Amino acid sequence: MDKVRSLEDAAAIVNDGATIGVGGLSMNGAPMAFVRELIRREARDLTVVAIVSSMAVDWLVAAGCVRKVVTGLVSFEGFGLAPNFRRAAQAGDIEVEEYSEHLLICRLQAAAYRLPFVPTKAGIGTDVLDLHPDTTRLERDSATGELYVACTPLPLDVGIVHAHEADRLGNVRVNPKLIWMDSDIVRAAAATIVTVERMADHATFVAAPEHTTYPRFTVDAVVEVPWGAYPTSLFPEYSHDAGFYQAYLAATREPEQWSHFWKSRVGAPETQGEFLEANGGAETILSIRQGT
Amino acid sequence: MSIPVPGADCTVDELMVVTLAREFTNDTRAFNGAVSFIPVCAYLLARRTHAPDLVWAASSIAVDADPDRLAESTLSDAIWTGASMLSNSPFDFWAYAQGARYNTFAFRGAQMDRYGNVNNTVIGPYDDPKVRLPGGGGMADLGGMIPNVYLWSTTHNDRTFVEQLDFRSGLGWGDGGDHRRELGFSGGPQLCVTNLCVMDFHPESRAMRLRSVHPGVTAADVQDATGFGVLLPDDGSVPDTALPTETELRILRDEVDPTSMRLREFV
Repeated sequence: MDKVRSLEDAAAIVNDGATIGVGGLSMNGAPMAFVRELIRREARDLTVVAIVSSMAVDWLVAAGCVRKVVTGLVSFEGFGLAPNFRRAAQAGDIEVEEYSEHLLICRLQAAAYRLPFVPTKAGIGTDVLDLHPDTTRLERDSATGELYVACTPLPLDVGIVHAHEADRLGNVRVNPKLIWMDSDIVRAAAATIVTVERMADHATFVAAPEHTTYPRFTVDAVVEVPWGAYPTSLFPEYSHDAGFYQAYLAATREPEQWSHFWKSRVGAPETQGEFLEANGGAETILSIRQGT
Repeated sequence: MSIPVPGADCTVDELMVVTLAREFTNDTRAFNGAVSFIPVCAYLLARRTHAPDLVWAASSIAVDADPDRLAESTLSDAIWTGASMLSNSPFDFWAYAQGARYNTFAFRGAQMDRYGNVNNTVIGPYDDPKVRLPGGGGMADLGGMIPNVYLWSTTHNDRTFVEQLDFRSGLGWGDGGDHRRELGFSGGPQLCVTNLCVMDFHPESRAMRLRSVHPGVTAADVQDATGFGVLLPDDGSVPDTALPTETELRILRDEVDPTSMRLREFV
């Protein structure tokens, strides 16, 4: 079955009110082109599971797509706090269900394995467990007396990750195989959408099956979007765009600037090409491009 | 913004990096999280001076990375150059972390208490925060799992060092005494290096104890800037923090962090 879809068709898989997992790690490898498509189609009331996020969560919150963020961390790191996430959380416009990184991984693994819980020592001794005692239960092992946390399943309606290459059947290659927590999102999701930098012939997967990261039966839609993680990075092909992060943060500090910035640099461009053009085009691409 | 150390040919950020670096050894197996410029500089400096076998996984991913400069993010692939392995989180990282094969972790928080617990989640009530912070990330996991925990702060004042955290995002010595061990964790916070001083932890109560003050700072200054009572050493005397050597400064300035990304922690 041909899994190739347009961004529009793939985004239609996400219903309002859905629980979605968004891949990436901080400023690396987030499916930003897909996030932008959700914003353009005015997705609403989403529960967004993003383990360690930066711009992806901030965009979705800025656009009013989000009811709840389930996360370990949302930050712009050395650039500052994630401004829209922070403002919306302080205003009570979104609910933030905080976990730690490993508690969330365990919850996704419990969903993937269809287990009642996955145990970990993560979170013991912190206030994080008290935020959601039903999903992270502190228990004592009857055999050894050791404390552990029982993490209950966190099933996702849709998982969305960005990768390097896919074939039309939906086999996906993350190359090099560096998948952060994305693999846990894919395994916990009822439906998975993968955006890729480029399509590759199926024959290349057969020739090097050891490099396949996600098999076709876990992938429901493949969308070809070059520079699809921009303004986050895709290792090793391009870095995050520091200029975008800086300009974005500066714009959020000036209410008059913000709506213009948001519209012209994020919301208005129709295609990925127009979006890149609105953010410096070839000059920006040359500045973030790595290696050969 | 770099702050000079009075009477010395170095700045506070450099003094902090060097102090931390000297704690690390060839047995240190470390990794780093977000916004961790000071410890990243310290790992790289230690490896280039007295601890060549030290293990550092850049961003908790790139084992033995050897970047020729740092970037705006300590979770950025820009600092993975020279790595001998790129880990993928669920398998390569967490197994080694929870099993304490990695043995060293450094964190900071918007608030810290006397037992080295930290808050990076909210200021004010969780459900109605005055300030929503980034979140604990891996702190709630790693503060407990990793035996040698180091803390640092570039804002030593009574808003950072507080009697009571608004939220405990990361575990240090817990409620003090044997609490951490009772929770099933070994080790605990070893040292807290700030822009004013160096503190260790009392071996029984596990409360912060002044080990040294940076040149120009007095023990009274530290107490004034701290929201809880800071213990003094048993003999009551507090030495000045040992200054960096010329070699350490040269390596830090020229090789480890030539673009001074560490100053992003001093805003």
